[in-house]
Amino acid sequence: MNDIETELISRCQQGDSDALKEIFDQYNKKVYGIAYGVVRQREEALDIVQEVFIKLYRSIRNFKGKSKFYTYLYRMAMNTAIDHARKMGRSPFSSLDEMEGFQPSDGVEKRPDSILLQKELEERVKVALEKLPADQRMALIFREVEGLSYQEMAEAMGCSIGTVMSRLHYGRKRIQELLKNDAQEERRR
Amino acid sequence: MKDSCSAVSKLLEKYFDHEVTEEEQSLIGVHLLECHACQDVLKSMERIRDSVKAPVEEAVQKEDFQWVWQKIERGIRLEERPTFWETLRSWLQIPPLFQRKVWIPAVAAAAIILVITIPLLFKKTPSYPSPSVVEYVESQTHNVMVYESENTKVTVIWLFEEPEKETPSS
Repeated sequence: MNDIETELISRCQQGDSDALKEIFDQYNKKVYGIAYGVVRQREEALDIVQEVFIKLYRSIRNFKGKSKFYTYLYRMAMNTAIDHARKMGRSPFSSLDEMEGFQPSDGVEKRPDSILLQKELEERVKVALEKLPADQRMALIFREVEGLSYQEMAEAMGCSIGTVMSRLHYGRKRIQELLKNDAQEERRR
Repeated sequence: MKDSCSAVSKLLEKYFDHEVTEEEQSLIGVHLLECHACQDVLKSMERIRDSVKAPVEEAVQKEDFQWVWQKIERGIRLEERPTFWETLRSWLQIPPLFQRKVWIPAVAAAAIILVITIPLLFKKTPSYPSPSVVEYVESQTHNVMVYESENTKVTVIWLFEEPEKETPSS
């Protein structure tokens, strides 16, 4: 956290809404990316952005600077987006424990069919993502969209680096599985 | 899959995520040059990454966030404005004079004053003659004075004779 950001946070903690505006300008795209990654709906993602920054303004006094500010903010965004999706009843929010019995198979056999066009693949990945448990989906969004390191992801998700790696691994494997099943079904038709 | 793949495949995901050491990176780099299976695994992860990332980036680029800020600002202002119930509650609150932080010191000060003044009030003061009633009656032969003390309920009567009148010398 640099000095400018520390000052911004301090001003925001004293109720300065101009400071919040500066934080908003800096992070709105990141927060929107996380929200959109979870809900995949423009209007809903924008509602989440709005909610996150209002929540931030309300609770920033609790931020003690022990973690990086952006991991604090991303965590807030992630939780808000997951809550939102849960309220909409759209997402299968099973935990990692429910994946017990799922054995990661060899990546070579499970790779997506190379003939799929990128746009089509994106659509399929979107559907596959929606079928993932929330923690795995968030791990993929933090890593693939936001480009966070394992350490930063662990901070944002409030878990260990080992758990982060496990979520990423099972998330990727699960998507490969789902895409493969999809391709097989299509071939049968 | 080659034997060395099993060792490398454990690190392949970390390699893809740029989380390996320099030593591991060169080890995997060498392996990838000749192993198409591991190359495919990497390509597969790349495709998934692109498929997750591209739609989000596209959506972010399209968005103008200024109007979102205006909504946030309105939301903050609404939060800062007290609600009807908060206003009502503040109206019904005890006036500041009766608030605890005011009345506790006030009561303490009053108690100290009482402790100091009560002994003074009950302290025995020197007695002064209480109000009394004096009546004086004159007659031709005797004069009577009656003294009645209200506190002690004592009545004193003086009776004294009229001195003989001096006859004027002729």
